[in-house]
Amino acid sequence: MLAALCASAGFAPALAQSVSGPVTYQLDPAHTFVTFEVLHFGTSTLRGRIGPVLGEVTVDRAARTGDLRLRIPVDTISTGMHILDARLKQPDLLATTEYPEAYFVATRFQFDAAGGVKEVRGEFTLRGVGEPLSLYARSFGCRHDETLGRDVCGGDFEADLKRGRFGATFGEPFISDDVHLVIQVEGIAP
Amino acid sequence: MKKFSLLAVTAALGFVAAAHAESATYAIEPNHTFATFEIGHMGTSTNRGRFNKTSGTVTLDKAAKTGALDVTVDTTSLDTGTAAFTKHISSDEMLNVAAFPTAHLVATKFVFNGDKVAEIDGTLTLMGKTNPVVLKAQNYNCYMSPMVKREVCGGDFDATIVRSQYGVTYGLNYGFPDTVHLVIQVEAVKQ
Repeated sequence: MLAALCASAGFAPALAQSVSGPVTYQLDPAHTFVTFEVLHFGTSTLRGRIGPVLGEVTVDRAARTGDLRLRIPVDTISTGMHILDARLKQPDLLATTEYPEAYFVATRFQFDAAGGVKEVRGEFTLRGVGEPLSLYARSFGCRHDETLGRDVCGGDFEADLKRGRFGATFGEPFISDDVHLVIQVEGIAP
Repeated sequence: MKKFSLLAVTAALGFVAAAHAESATYAIEPNHTFATFEIGHMGTSTNRGRFNKTSGTVTLDKAAKTGALDVTVDTTSLDTGTAAFTKHISSDEMLNVAAFPTAHLVATKFVFNGDKVAEIDGTLTLMGKTNPVVLKAQNYNCYMSPMVKREVCGGDFDATIVRSQYGVTYGLNYGFPDTVHLVIQVEAVKQ
């Protein structure tokens, strides 16, 4: 299974040795961002990028277990529009003065047949409110990065939440309560 | 009835946009109009970059179900969230924004599904090269904005382009994909 993963990702057997037990990946700040998407007046999708997300992920492919702790600096919110960024930071939305970071902590990992991470279930804390959240992999892959000289694993994940549950209610219902998260993540092995 | 037939004939002749009274012009609302590109990163994740400044106009004739648009994207407004990545893409190895500070999207063919715009066929000019592009609507709607007290129409569109057709070939030999997915939020205010 592991061999299949390595073969499909197109890199050398070096990874096979390095993943025989738990491996802790440091998130790559150049390739780890969360983008939120929320429908505006039932018409178009507002997006905002948060990151880089900080933290580490430990994965034991053989045991099919994982542990993830992320710090999400919500005060880095960037929509491309300064006025909206400032509005999003207000107390009735992201409340970044009081809560400059959100957190995601998860220990329930599901793996696909090839050993890739398929789903991560954990607790998301925003504005100090913790709620269950599941991240689903749209894609997942590993490679040996020649530039870094390290193994890198990561992918694209997505999740859905209701912002009202965290107390971020401004603009509803014209701006939807449903928030879709699109997550780019890459982690670098030691 | 007579009026209706005349409209149908006019539409069939294809010059209704200019002639018919229902044609309206909408100005791109820059606070709700962003183009984002998505490109695969080494088979692992997806890199994204957003262009922060877009301007232009859209002409819509809802009765005749025709439309046209002329939109300019300021390529110097690229924002990826990583300064080094933004700088590299903006350099002459890729988008060369110093020499080509704008990308230009022009379309005269709007495909409707009922009352909604479903597809826009046009051309994209990037780095001085022009190629056909098809924008597919994922969302489309019009509403009366309580902020500007006017009708706003817009939606979410996406398109796939082949970057080498525009001369952006950097990294193709390292396995960076040639196809780029464009994700576009757009809203335009009736004038």
